[in-house]
Amino acid sequence: MGHYLRKRLLAAIPTLFGITVLIFLAMRVLPGDPVSFIFTEAQGVQVLNEEQKSQARAKLGLDRPYHEQYLGWIGGVLRGDLGESFWRGEKTAALIARRGPITAQIALMAVALSWLIGLPVGILSAVRRNSWLDYLSRTTVTFFLAVPSFLIGLTVVLVGVLVFNWRPPLTIAYPWTDPLTNLQITIGPALALGVGLAAVVARFTRSSCLEVLNEDYVRTARAKGVVERRVILKHVFRNALLPVITVSGLALGGLLGGSVAVERAFGVPGLGLALTFALAERDWNVIQNLVLLYGVIVTAVNLAVDLSYSWFDPRIRYQ
Amino acid sequence: MARSTELRSLGQDLTSGRLSRREFLRRAAALGLTASSVAALLAACGGSAAPASTPAAATGASTAVPAAAATKAPVSNPAAATGGATFMKAPEPNPKRGGTVKTAFGVTVGHYDFHQGGGGPLVQAFDNLVTLNYTDGLETIVPELAESWEISADKQTYTFKVRDGVKFHDGTPFGAEDVVATFSRIIFPPPGIASLFQENFAAVEKVELIDRLTMRFVLKYAWPPFLAALTPVNMVIYSKKTLEQNGNDLRKVIAPGTGAFVYKEYKTAERWIFERNPNYWNPELPYVDRLEMLHVPAWTDRGTAVLTGQADFSWNVSMETHQEAEKRKDSVATRVLPHFGAAYHVAINNQRKPFSDPRVRRAIHLAVSRQNLIGAFAKQEFITMDRWVSHANKYALPLEDIQKLPGYRADKKEDIAEAKRLLAEAGHPDGFEAELMSADVAPHAQIMAPAFQDQLRRTLNIRTTIKVLERSLLTNALSQGEYDMQLGTSYGSDIPDPELMWTRALRTGASQNWSKYANPKFDQLLDQLKTEADEEARQRLVREGMQLLDDDPPFYLMGFADHLPMWRKPVHGIVANWRHTHWGRMPTVWLDQ
Repeated sequence: MGHYLRKRLLAAIPTLFGITVLIFLAMRVLPGDPVSFIFTEAQGVQVLNEEQKSQARAKLGLDRPYHEQYLGWIGGVLRGDLGESFWRGEKTAALIARRGPITAQIALMAVALSWLIGLPVGILSAVRRNSWLDYLSRTTVTFFLAVPSFLIGLTVVLVGVLVFNWRPPLTIAYPWTDPLTNLQITIGPALALGVGLAAVVARFTRSSCLEVLNEDYVRTARAKGVVERRVILKHVFRNALLPVITVSGLALGGLLGGSVAVERAFGVPGLGLALTFALAERDWNVIQNLVLLYGVIVTAVNLAVDLSYSWFDPRIRYQ
Repeated sequence: MARSTELRSLGQDLTSGRLSRREFLRRAAALGLTASSVAALLAACGGSAAPASTPAAATGASTAVPAAAATKAPVSNPAAATGGATFMKAPEPNPKRGGTVKTAFGVTVGHYDFHQGGGGPLVQAFDNLVTLNYTDGLETIVPELAESWEISADKQTYTFKVRDGVKFHDGTPFGAEDVVATFSRIIFPPPGIASLFQENFAAVEKVELIDRLTMRFVLKYAWPPFLAALTPVNMVIYSKKTLEQNGNDLRKVIAPGTGAFVYKEYKTAERWIFERNPNYWNPELPYVDRLEMLHVPAWTDRGTAVLTGQADFSWNVSMETHQEAEKRKDSVATRVLPHFGAAYHVAINNQRKPFSDPRVRRAIHLAVSRQNLIGAFAKQEFITMDRWVSHANKYALPLEDIQKLPGYRADKKEDIAEAKRLLAEAGHPDGFEAELMSADVAPHAQIMAPAFQDQLRRTLNIRTTIKVLERSLLTNALSQGEYDMQLGTSYGSDIPDPELMWTRALRTGASQNWSKYANPKFDQLLDQLKTEADEEARQRLVREGMQLLDDDPPFYLMGFADHLPMWRKPVHGIVANWRHTHWGRMPTVWLDQ
């Protein structure tokens, strides 16, 4: 296991290196000038002459050769210094530390919700195959697969405002400082994301369970007189879980980076919104570091998912 | 109070065209207005010299000149003559103290230096040299950090006496040298400083320190709007010490101000927190203990935030939430405020063929129906048809008069015939092809741009392809002249005087003349307007200017947008006259709870 872990960690290095190069070049190759954003007036129309623009670029270090800019950035990252926003001087690490927990909490709650809803629905649907319960769950699942999560989010907000005169708070509150406000902020986005993900989980659980239900060892267990509940939970469910873990892991990796649409719908100041603003402002330093962070998160979650396989299925051994 | 608010609102609605004259008269009668009062209000709405008065005009500042400062600027102001001190207060009587006001605002703050284009909500921590008067609905200009001023007989020297005993929030004493340092950086920026307002002060020859509490501006020529140019909320006074300590560049520095509120905390794109300045030089202000300014980018979210009590106030909410507020009048209040800074228009590249031919631009000006475009956009944003200046401007022609003019009238039959004739004369009887750029925001790209495209095709057979771009790219294309036509909102000014806006946007070679417009007759008119102090003559020149622009249009103008502020009923002290707003500043805000 230790050897496997080392190999995977080493393999992650070129992946992350590739991400840094791609995002660094993308920022500089794609059209759009950061200097246009810093000195703006009247709806973003710049009034700088060329000399002023050159001076502004020099102050931001954007007049240096690309390789110097890149090495400067990576050197800082390796030293634990993620640099700061081009414009406001705010440390990128501070931004991540402040917004990351809310985004992570929403992601974890969404995945947890998806399991709470999706697993029982998927199992029931498989066990009661072609019954009215199966048809109902399949119809519901298809509906939630089709409806985008931001639409669910908007509906939740609209109903809140128009019917209950309520909308989620617009500030950041952490579970350890103000749990009630924190719950009000996070429950909506978690629900909007979790319901859609639950549909995916239910679908994977159902098809996976159906496959396992036909396995010999399930028939054997039933022939031995094992209680049906135990057959389903111990023999079927555990063995059907691997694809569900894979899909949940992938979803978690994506959600930890922040769902822009849902954060926007609820006005949650998470990492997704931070990236949106950074993109709009061409705040290259923030964008580069956030994308690198997503790369690290996705790599780490994938590794964790792979490692978890051996726990769920003892036949899997990593060399 | 309520009746006065209703009256102002009626006046607004009439001017913006949302209310017919008949309906206006009916409602005014319902409010119990006499015929003479109605006539006075109509005159004010029609752009005559009579200003829209506010109910609180009796209180507050004693030193004042008209906000437009176009005429009869006093040689010395009343306060200087009487020695009376001027302290701003809330426009309403008996304001209460205490509490926290939460606002929802949408502006992303790029950096912290006001004079290089940043700052935003940080304005709460600062004062200007002079300001608009909160007690008379922002109609006059009164001292703020200035105590008084004198204007020389030739109107080329403005000498300011500043307040003694004022301190910046870091404890540094304030003096005239801070005013000199601030305006020297704006008007004569050192290398590396991009002064966005330098052009506003092109008339200033020098800024001089006389003594610890006295300084003066010496102008190259008498320029009537000078005092008005000092009033926008971003004309804040920095301390000389802070400027020197930071090499004149405050983009990454939250500098100390002298304002009613002290900066406490800022979380990027989340919220600003300000607390009452216990040592504020004005003993009357501020009333509230704390301001929390929540960054809420979507205007629907801002509206729902106020509707549900998450925020107490927002300067601009969405149309739907504004309409929802109409049903909840017991808990929230709303207004419709003209916005000087953003006019919907289609910039036309005057240097590219065939748009370099004035006949082609005039044909577009005549043929495309403003009524249709504004109607198509009505569910997104209020736009009022304007003729080269905002409808809130006192120089604006009344809407009913504008609607009779070629190009602006609803019946397009004659206009389209004339437009076709002009286009044929210019050598394009069968139209031509061009590109129309639009920002990648849905209302622009999916409503306004296609509506404009459709009208061009149907009326003049000008066939356009719409190119949707992210706003930064659009800006680059505009400033570099790499476009045919571009839908935008960059025509406007934060100073309600057409001369400055026209000089920056329409004078040959001006910094924001994105259409590359060149009209020697118009330039001559601007030269006259620049120094003309007589109000009637100024009105006449502005009208002449409008006619010149109609005859040789630089671009296609639809009209200026209106903002939709919304606030909870307990909030008072935010002054928003229909002609002026002090966008963002809230030193006089108070809560009735």
